[in-house]
Amino acid sequence: MPNIIELKNVCKSFGNTEVLHNIDFAVEEGEVVVVIGPSGSGKSTLIRCINCLEMITTGELIVDSIRIPDEQGRIRQIRLEVGMVFQQFNLFPHMTAIENVAFGPSKARRMNKAKATDIARGLLDRVGLAEFEHQLPGQLSGGQQQRVAIARALAVSPKVLMFDEPTSALDPEMIGEVLDVMKSIANDSGMTMIVVTHEMGFAAQVGDRLIFMDDGRIVEEGKPGDVMKNPQSERLKDFLGHVKHH
Amino acid sequence: MDFEFSVIIESLPALFEGAKLTWYITILGIIGGMIFGILAGLGRIAGTAALGEKPHGIFIWVSVLIRYISGGYVELIRGTPIIVQAMFLYFAFPMLVKAVTDIERFRIEALTAAVITIVVNAGAYIAEIVRGSVISVNKGLLEAGMSLGISRFQLIVHVIGPIAIRRMIPPLGNQFIISLKDTSLFIVIGVGELTRQGQEIMASNFRALEIWLTVAIIYLMMTTTLSMTLRHFEKKMKMF
Ligand SMILES: Nc1ncnc2c1ncn2[C@@H]1O[C@H](COP(=O)(O)OP(=O)(O)OP(=O)(O)O)[C@@H](O)[C@H]1O
Ligand SMILES: [Mg+2]
Repeated sequence: MPNIIELKNVCKSFGNTEVLHNIDFAVEEGEVVVVIGPSGSGKSTLIRCINCLEMITTGELIVDSIRIPDEQGRIRQIRLEVGMVFQQFNLFPHMTAIENVAFGPSKARRMNKAKATDIARGLLDRVGLAEFEHQLPGQLSGGQQQRVAIARALAVSPKVLMFDEPTSALDPEMIGEVLDVMKSIANDSGMTMIVVTHEMGFAAQVGDRLIFMDDGRIVEEGKPGDVMKNPQSERLKDFLGHVKHH
Repeated sequence: MDFEFSVIIESLPALFEGAKLTWYITILGIIGGMIFGILAGLGRIAGTAALGEKPHGIFIWVSVLIRYISGGYVELIRGTPIIVQAMFLYFAFPMLVKAVTDIERFRIEALTAAVITIVVNAGAYIAEIVRGSVISVNKGLLEAGMSLGISRFQLIVHVIGPIAIRRMIPPLGNQFIISLKDTSLFIVIGVGELTRQGQEIMASNFRALEIWLTVAIIYLMMTTTLSMTLRHFEKKMKMF
């Protein structure tokens, strides 16, 4: 499969602090990549660079054959193709569930309202929230909000979906429902996914590849089962010891 | 103490004339102040992350210039008393015009000066209200919108705007009421608004108690109307 995302020797600095060091990283179409690593290791920064919420400082980023920094003017095109789900859901608080989901197709894909609403209704059904379409985010549980957020990201039919710790802000009893939706997206639609998470069960079950980041570098990668069973570095052994106890 | 109701009745027509003028200055002033305020408020955060993406190239310098102009305006107006602004505009500004141009008979109508003063003055305070409400909108919502591929303009219209407006209403109500009461200062440039009318009637009949009581009640009715209108708007909006 061809690469849909490629980072070549990418560095990212905030001010004088470099937080990503010479990252080389590629994702194939249809691949599910799980990213783990301690807090502050640069996981969020890595995926935020991919959809240009942060601009890379040096190196090259290629998404769906759009090159950054050469084609800075096509950032919106990249974002249409790379959706994102956030830890804090970030649903638009003044819009109902269905309005949240229909917003992307109608504004970014310029569909008419009826068609956008149809798509939104279908997606809410797919994430199991058909009866909640007229609720505002504030009236939904955390797990329900995150499922709406996933539907919202899917609504613009991106080629890649990225998740930044999608279950970390959830009460334990709601984590399962969100992971189930993510699994079904990976299995049913063959969506390319990059998932930052500490849910090792999910990584083992759904991930094609596991990446361990530490201190702004990709330290280990491989098949999730292998990486988890045979960690090479002390840092990863340490890290796995910690997550297992959660 | 003698309290004469008839004095109040007799003074009402003149006071109502004054109240009309007060209302007129206030409404025009608030409308203009909103326009100034929105422009300067957004101007103060032009090119910052609060309005989505940061600009590139020449737009960086354009946005810096806009920020300085808006900021200068706000600081200048907030830093000087409104009564000084009104007197400057009415008395000093025409002299300034005369000095630097050869227009001999330039003058500003007192009423025009009053309206402009409210517009410019309220605009500066409203700018801060606008700025504060916009920067209080959770940045995560912008990022969510941007990662859907939605343009910055559409995000301002459909996400930042609606959320910020809900937060603006209470402080705007405050500012509208302050502006209405500020019109009483235009007594100094001879605008026949409510306070001035009260003052004139008082000077002819010396019935301070009746007149100032009536004037106060009329002001109270007008400010109550303003705050009830805003309350109405607030209730009509879908809250979250
Ligand atoms: N906007 C920013 N400005 C300055 N420094 C930042 C910014 N965003 C992130 N950083 C720094 O970059 C480093 C990597 O942060 P990042 O959020 O990518 O880590 P992370 O692996 O996602 O951590 P966590 O598990 O806590 O989410 C940290 O040292 C962080 O302090
Ligand atoms: Mg993070």
